[in-house]
Amino acid sequence: MAVQRKQVPIDGRLFKLPSSPSEKAHLIGSRCRSCGETFFPKRSYCANCTSPDMEEVALSTRGKLETFTISRATPPGSLIQAPYGLGYVRLPEGCIVQTVLSECDPQKLEIDMDMELVIEKIREDEEGNDVMAFKFKPV
Amino acid sequence: MREVVILGVGLHKFERFTDKTLVELGEVAISNALKESGVPFKDIEAAYVGHCYAAMGTGRSVVTQFGETGIPIVNIEVACSSATQALLRGAWEIASGLYDVVLAVGVEKMGTGLISMGGETDRYIVEMGYMVMPASYAMMARRHMHDYGTTFEQLAMCSVKEHKNGALNPYAQYQREMTLEEVMNSRMIADPITLYMCSPTSSGASAAVICAKEKAKKYISKKPITIAGWALSSGTYAREALEFGGMEELAQKAYDRAGIGPQDIDVAQVHDAFSPGEIFIPESLGLIPEGEGGRWIEEEKTEINGVLPINTDGGLVARGHPVGATGIAQVAELVWQLRGEAGPRQVPGKPKVALQHNAGIGGVIVSIYKR
Repeated sequence: MAVQRKQVPIDGRLFKLPSSPSEKAHLIGSRCRSCGETFFPKRSYCANCTSPDMEEVALSTRGKLETFTISRATPPGSLIQAPYGLGYVRLPEGCIVQTVLSECDPQKLEIDMDMELVIEKIREDEEGNDVMAFKFKPV
Repeated sequence: MREVVILGVGLHKFERFTDKTLVELGEVAISNALKESGVPFKDIEAAYVGHCYAAMGTGRSVVTQFGETGIPIVNIEVACSSATQALLRGAWEIASGLYDVVLAVGVEKMGTGLISMGGETDRYIVEMGYMVMPASYAMMARRHMHDYGTTFEQLAMCSVKEHKNGALNPYAQYQREMTLEEVMNSRMIADPITLYMCSPTSSGASAAVICAKEKAKKYISKKPITIAGWALSSGTYAREALEFGGMEELAQKAYDRAGIGPQDIDVAQVHDAFSPGEIFIPESLGLIPEGEGGRWIEEEKTEINGVLPINTDGGLVARGHPVGATGIAQVAELVWQLRGEAGPRQVPGKPKVALQHNAGIGGVIVSIYKR
């Protein structure tokens, strides 16, 4: 009998996987209750005003591509093989997300284009779970 | 606060591979700096040693070759700006009156290929392929191309100029000129950065002897160069910034402390870990109007004979980039330029004021030097 494989995030601080089919995965950010700035990844103190009054927030799953590159070399230890896209995506909350892009053809990428969060399997762990990473893809 | 001067600088040639130990590399650079300064080692009151990949206690191993005089020897790590931080740490202590004479050193031996951070890095950062150093410069370059119309050719022209200057520098790792075609057609590393737009991995060493200006007369040195003003930052949070925020304010702080403005700079060193840095960094320092960096390169304004010579020694790309030693190599070139001793690389018109920009993952520095 086939057993449903369990999915786990590569790092639980980064994003939440959907707990039911009606939910969508989302990145986890922090919003400063004092100055209003939002950050990714989440943090305990505000980088802008140093306040400890931070709340965890579910970040928008869409944003705009601020800039990008295509890495033609695979750095040591990387499970993502070259060529692959790397970029910064600006979310409506104002924060910027460093991310791998699911598209690596520079002709198909454009600054300011709309991007969408995707969750993909990156490896399996010791217990046989699927380890999931986040990327962004053009909408 | 007391004024601080540089009495002597010294380098060990930057090389891709070396059979020499870190101690041997450092000994050459320190010995050269002591010679220029006329300072006997027994007069050195403290030493600061920058490095990133070396073993713990490396500073002591290197500096005590010249004598076990009991001085404090402290290792400094601020990534690619480690050596400059070592120099300026010493400068603060002289300015505040704690010491009169300090030795600053940078030493490094590196492997090849894409560099790592050493130590522990979050697993997801490694596995998700974020550790591509050229990527951050590549993304800033692409943004600059989008916003201001900067071209791929202009990015490549920076590398051509760097190699042209490096060919005149006996301490440079690459002393060979390169054509625009060679740079543009070399292997793509992270679009739009090609292989010959990347600083190489390197080994080498750099050193400087600094002194309170009021005590400098004691020594028969080369012409002392004043460290006129400097500012250090770990980056100020700015929502818009892709890298360090607050660069304009940091540069202004250094200009104010030196009592000058960007228009007074006669020669500059900027941290071109990748060639496109020569376009957007001078803009962030107020040296080149916003968006015009590409055109300045194309119009040869940053060549040795241009209106604002930049990276006259070849920069990180051609001179080499042994990360912990780079900072004082930048300073050494500016000292030689201000003394009029840069030989075939000498900027005409007797430069009086020089600017150094040295940046790494750990922080960024703007420092002004005066004849």
